[in-house]
Amino acid sequence: MSDSSRRRAGRILLIGGRIILGGVFIAAGFVKLRPVVHGMPWSKASVNTSLAMFAMQVDSYQMLSSSSANLVAHALPFAELALGLWIVSGLWLAVPSLITTLILGGFLTAMIRAYALGLEINCGCFGPGEKVGPLSFVRDGAFFALSLAVTIGAFLIARKKSARESSNASTAQFEQAR
Amino acid sequence: MIQPCNINDSNEAPCSNNFLLRGKLKMPRGWSSRASVATRILGWAGLFALIAVAATAQAQKKSATTAPALKAAAASDEAPVKAIGSKSAPITMEVFSDYQCPSCRLLYEQTLKPLINEYVATGKVYLIHRDFPLPMHKYSTDAARWVNAGAKIGRYPEVEAALYDNQDAWSADGNIQKFVAAALSPADFKRAEKMVEACVADSTGIKPASLNLTPQTHECSIDEAIAKDKALGNTVPVTQTPTYRFYYKGQAYPPTPGYVSWPILKQFFDSLLNQ
Repeated sequence: MSDSSRRRAGRILLIGGRIILGGVFIAAGFVKLRPVVHGMPWSKASVNTSLAMFAMQVDSYQMLSSSSANLVAHALPFAELALGLWIVSGLWLAVPSLITTLILGGFLTAMIRAYALGLEINCGCFGPGEKVGPLSFVRDGAFFALSLAVTIGAFLIARKKSARESSNASTAQFEQAR
Repeated sequence: MIQPCNINDSNEAPCSNNFLLRGKLKMPRGWSSRASVATRILGWAGLFALIAVAATAQAQKKSATTAPALKAAAASDEAPVKAIGSKSAPITMEVFSDYQCPSCRLLYEQTLKPLINEYVATGKVYLIHRDFPLPMHKYSTDAARWVNAGAKIGRYPEVEAALYDNQDAWSADGNIQKFVAAALSPADFKRAEKMVEACVADSTGIKPASLNLTPQTHECSIDEAIAKDKALGNTVPVTQTPTYRFYYKGQAYPPTPGYVSWPILKQFFDSLLNQ
């Protein structure tokens, strides 16, 4: 495979990875906000109940104080939605992908800690009903690897872009000097 | 005229002779190998992510289909013995716990006590206890027997409080009756003791002389109640204690395992009551 075709494949995969990662974050934010009981209509009250239920899942990790767990539970779903949309948009991709990598690393650490402590709690990753365990480790590990790869790709592209811009600037200076 | 070096150009000869531009315009060293590694990681991670999302969606679909069964189980249990509060309370909370489990004690001491004082006493929550003694705890079945015996004579809250308040002490030596005796009147304690001893005799085959058991009286109904709770727990399914679930306006909410602090649980109840 030539360098240019490899680069093209890399770009296509980066777009694909970006869309998957953004989609995952949008889905994660959405399922935390949707009504927890099947068939219940969406309303402000149903969102409050969903967030309160998610706060119980965050609290069950026993890592944060009640007030901090509450703050995280009320901010995280909206942050996930915003990050997901930002990643899908592709604007300054290195920034949101780095944030998602750090967030996913934090999730993975929290889950492994809970599992090591013997807390058979709900993961809370995609709504209630999913236990912390090997399946959630594999899934979040895959998301973490994907996010890391997107971040690396985004940084490489940003570096290439900045090199190209500085090349243009240097050429312009050189031309002026002549 | 020297041509500007474009990063996409394959011919680097003109710019590589220019000392001013060298390094700035060349492709970073190792770019192609790094891009290749990143490409492979992206591909594999994306594949894993897709598989994992599909597996999660399948698991949640399965969990959603069990919700009506949970609802039916709660509705069929007309008169649970181990319950506190009014049955007409808008919210029902069902807690599966083991009296020898430290997390269950923490939940009771830090969360259920204020819940009982603030929301059960005011008629907002109906609190049901379900026994789920775990095999790893040596005295948890005995403890559950004492609580069920206490419930039979209408002294469930007192016995439960006595056991959780002194969990460390009786977990060490199994002397549960000492704390139950302190929590009940002598007459009530005698009645509870007789029920528990009948079960001990039933399970061990040893009949204490003081009981004077006949085939008619030799029944262990409290073990049946424990077994019934455990069977119900297995349908949830309960994989650890404590695990709790809620019912509000005829709807079953997903079961939640682990400890929850009172401010967070209170917030959840308030969100339900404000619906």
